[in-house]
Amino acid sequence: MTNPTDTGSARNEAVRARGVWKIFNEGQPNEVTALQDVDLTVSDGEFVSLIGPSGCGKSTLLRVIADLTDATRGDLSVAGVTPHEARRQQLYGIAFQQAALFEWRTVQRNVELPLELQGWDKKKRAARALELLEMVQLADFASHRPWELSGGMQQRVAIARSLAVDPPLLLMDEPFGALDEMTRERMQNELLRIRNETGKSIIFVTHSIPEAVYLSDRVVVMSPRPGRITHIVDVNLGERNEDTRESESFFESVTAVREALRGRSSGSAVRARIGEV
Amino acid sequence: MSERLRAIWPPVLIAILFLAAWEALVIVQEIKPYLLPAPTLIWENFTKDLGLMWSAAFYTGTTAFLGLVFGTIVATAFAFMAQRVGIINNLITPLAAGLAAVPIIALTPILNNMFNITSRTPRVLVTMIIVFFPMFVNITRGLIQVQPVQLELLRSLNTKPRTTLRVLRIPNAIPFFFTGLKIAAPLAVIAALVAEYFGGPQQGLGSRIASAAANTAYGRAWAYVVASIITGLLFYLIVLAVEKWTTPWTGRTRST
Repeated sequence: MTNPTDTGSARNEAVRARGVWKIFNEGQPNEVTALQDVDLTVSDGEFVSLIGPSGCGKSTLLRVIADLTDATRGDLSVAGVTPHEARRQQLYGIAFQQAALFEWRTVQRNVELPLELQGWDKKKRAARALELLEMVQLADFASHRPWELSGGMQQRVAIARSLAVDPPLLLMDEPFGALDEMTRERMQNELLRIRNETGKSIIFVTHSIPEAVYLSDRVVVMSPRPGRITHIVDVNLGERNEDTRESESFFESVTAVREALRGRSSGSAVRARIGEV
Repeated sequence: MSERLRAIWPPVLIAILFLAAWEALVIVQEIKPYLLPAPTLIWENFTKDLGLMWSAAFYTGTTAFLGLVFGTIVATAFAFMAQRVGIINNLITPLAAGLAAVPIIALTPILNNMFNITSRTPRVLVTMIIVFFPMFVNITRGLIQVQPVQLELLRSLNTKPRTTLRVLRIPNAIPFFFTGLKIAAPLAVIAALVAEYFGGPQQGLGSRIASAAANTAYGRAWAYVVASIITGLLFYLIVLAVEKWTTPWTGRTRST
């Protein structure tokens, strides 16, 4: 599944986090530890999902990697450089739960946005946008406006946009969270196909266990208060196809992730009780 | 096209019924014209003095247009400052609200004294003041109220504030701009018209209504009122048309 030899560049780690902390309102009464001592390595070409209940810090971790917020402490490198540098050099693309399309732009011009901001000339960025729309199978909709598209189609436009500058890393924050189940499964297959075509490293935040298992090489299980990584579950399902979702090994992995999630919560409950005594 | 027709006929029918009832009331109750002239009498006066109607509407319309344009320019400049500096926003917004509460009736005679009463200037100023508030509030809101996720996206794309203004805030503010303009345009006509009640050149709609009423020519006064309504409506419709033409995405559900 993975493509470790894809780029041949010196950096073979898409993300490397060592002892990363994120504390909101540090030193104040409303202090919240969103991330506690996070260690995580994502190899080039790897698909890693972050899963956990609300408040476990999975989105915060993604935002720290994206340099949308600073880590309070710890070492973090993204595509071999600091997160800030990675953002400056456009080494990652990002997609959110909301497609965040600009409704005054056509579909094509939405995909072109990152290229436009980088100063690509008009012809080149149009060609690139059409190529990407081809990839997400929306070439026929290039001149449509976002509101004319369904939720799933809008999200595909957002994914195309995140791939525009051809970054080695893709960060996705519950991109299929607002979609219905059928669309969602189709989008998952679509994403895996794109990933196979492009060899991107992907970090994918979700709270759907089957989604995490179906997509990922590894599932990172997180737990809240304080947000931290509790388990990392390896998933070995080989090439995904229509039968994968009903296979024995798929359910085994789903169970493994579920137990990791549950094990955590009962563990903290036990500790809370001890704390009271 | 037939769908459009279906949307148009109910209000047209109501208007016709209303005018017919009005006419009937005046005839049956023998209401004197100085109390309520019949629609036919108003129409008669309107068509008889069509040239005068037109020139009065043109004069007042010009005042309203100038006030609208300058008021919008000033409001836009302040809105951009308010977006840039939160403190300015906090300072201007209450001030703008205060300005909106100033009755132009109280203001007009003062401005007439401050500026040349025989010129159009005091009237344009009054109109500007009226126009400023709805424009400023709406443009500011449009510049500030962008989707947080769109801001995050631009941050991830390493976008400078100036570029964010260009690719996100300004386009985002355009529908808000038109919302403000749809309020401000008819208001501008009213302001320009009312400002004429306090002396100065006499060729506008407001002056004509006042002098016709003073001469007990109520049919004519009402005819000028009709001309005023048409002028205000025209302003509104022009804004509506420009909006439809420039921002086809407004009125749609926002893409998520």
